[in-house]
Amino acid sequence: MTSITVEAKRLTKHYGGRSAVEGVSFDASQGEIVGLLGPNGAGKTTTIRLLTTVLEPTSGEYSIAGYPYTSATEIRRRVGVLPESSGYPSHQTGAEYLRFYARLYGLSRSQAHSVSAELLAAVGLAERSQSPISTYSRGMRQRLGIARALVNNPVVVFLDEPTLGLDPAGQAQVLDIIRGIAKARDATVVLSTHLLPEVEEVCSKVVILNHGKVVTSGSVGEVIKTALIEQSAQLRVPLDLVERARNVLAGFPDLTVDQTAEQPDVLRLAVDRPGTGVASGEVMNEVLAAITAAGIPVLRFELEGARLSDAFLKMTSEAVA
Amino acid sequence: MTLQVAPPEVGTGQDVRTGAERQSGWLVVAEQECRDLWTSGRGLILLFLFSVLLSAITYLTSTNQALNFLEQRESVNLVLQFAVAVGALATLVVSADGISGERERGTLETLLVTPTPRRSIIAGKLIAALSLWLGTFIVGIPYVWVLARGVGILGSALALGFCVGTLVAVGLGAIGLLISAACNSNKTSIAASIFLLLILFAPTQLPSGLPQGWFFDVLLRANPVASGLAYISSILVEGHSWTQDLALLITPLLTAIIAGGALVFAGPRLVRLTRGVTAG
Repeated sequence: MTSITVEAKRLTKHYGGRSAVEGVSFDASQGEIVGLLGPNGAGKTTTIRLLTTVLEPTSGEYSIAGYPYTSATEIRRRVGVLPESSGYPSHQTGAEYLRFYARLYGLSRSQAHSVSAELLAAVGLAERSQSPISTYSRGMRQRLGIARALVNNPVVVFLDEPTLGLDPAGQAQVLDIIRGIAKARDATVVLSTHLLPEVEEVCSKVVILNHGKVVTSGSVGEVIKTALIEQSAQLRVPLDLVERARNVLAGFPDLTVDQTAEQPDVLRLAVDRPGTGVASGEVMNEVLAAITAAGIPVLRFELEGARLSDAFLKMTSEAVA
Repeated sequence: MTLQVAPPEVGTGQDVRTGAERQSGWLVVAEQECRDLWTSGRGLILLFLFSVLLSAITYLTSTNQALNFLEQRESVNLVLQFAVAVGALATLVVSADGISGERERGTLETLLVTPTPRRSIIAGKLIAALSLWLGTFIVGIPYVWVLARGVGILGSALALGFCVGTLVAVGLGAIGLLISAACNSNKTSIAASIFLLLILFAPTQLPSGLPQGWFFDVLLRANPVASGLAYISSILVEGHSWTQDLALLITPLLTAIIAGGALVFAGPRLVRLTRGVTAG
């Protein structure tokens, strides 16, 4: 049975008269990966700092692994954190760095030694364990930071922008590690990131913040549904079959078909009928079925408005407006 | 590459250890800070420069002794005072980097999210900074031994230097950490600490021929560094007993107690991510 490991209720943080976080509430369960999303300055980092006891809330409350926010030391024993733009002592080796943190969590020298070796191997840094951190690439440092966040075998792992500044291969490695943390360790991962496609891929739940407030939360599907985005699509077919495709599409009275001179082989489809994204999606499915039934090869069919990024942009821009 | 991030053999967060198994956080911090200080070369370079300077001073004072310009006790006093001054300077500068440096390097937050109490972090950093004073004192021992031969003050000179120097270094180290906690910028913290040290050393550099009335006496006694060094002089040069001018040690003692106490009691509120932000 999975249990609630993170529970935030009306968390608020003010700096003087400025509100950084206002009434943030959400929860997360064991083994769940929660994406904390929002534009810059939305309050993601402040929320993480509140939940990791670095900051005290102005009002509201939270619990981590069943411990209330007043039990800061107990919470610190049970969380692992990779802060945004975390620094590293350049002259220390990766192994030395992890051993130090392991010992701060109460492990003996020998235990710290074995834990650091295991974690360095787990994040693919075993061969560089004795190299100074100054010689590590950004991706290696991020992986070392994640390893450090795991030295206490935490119940909840907070990762603030772990893929920031990494190349695609580095991002893939980090996301792979994040999946591993939730699956193999059964830990809750709270992930703050701007990489929406990746969030869609790894997160079982998302919380979208804007101006310090939760705009929406739920599973990726629920969030997209909440955004009620009208769906449109781009259909690419061979140039000589464009007219035939248009004839097929003419059979859909609610569909508007546009074409540009720059991309004559791409048809832009939109549903005129007012309604929900689900209804639009059904029309798009029928369109796709009709095109393929007519023997027209589909070179590309891209549904727009059904992605997390669409929901994110809609919700955060609505909140700004 | 397949990454298997399986839990380690030894449990921690999901299997919290008991208090008896846990090591003292201050000891772990102090050990790591000392390692950083000494293996990174910072401490060794400082000691090397100190020993070069001390060699030059020892040579000059020995020459002056031979020419009867400087009494042997004064030579020992000069070298000992120099060791205390450099030790205090090193302790102050290293502790001034303690919190603000971590903030600037982005390494403080990871320390704050560990269960190690803030007080332990501060204590560990203070101990590491004091190791520099201990280093300068140890380097100074052979020089004092060379100069103190024949006048029978070697033991008392070393004991005196160690006691007064430790008292001054603890006080200044604690002040350095307080300054560091109060500054967001490391440069500001170190500059403020060095400025403070220069002010404290200023009275010791006044020409001895100047008239020294009650104002000078108050200034001297209110200054932990100047009064500590004056205490060393009164015993080594003027031949006073250890108890005769004990009042000179009140300020260094009070400084160590007050600054150290402020660190102990206000430490959890001082060690924050950024100055002015309330930490848990």
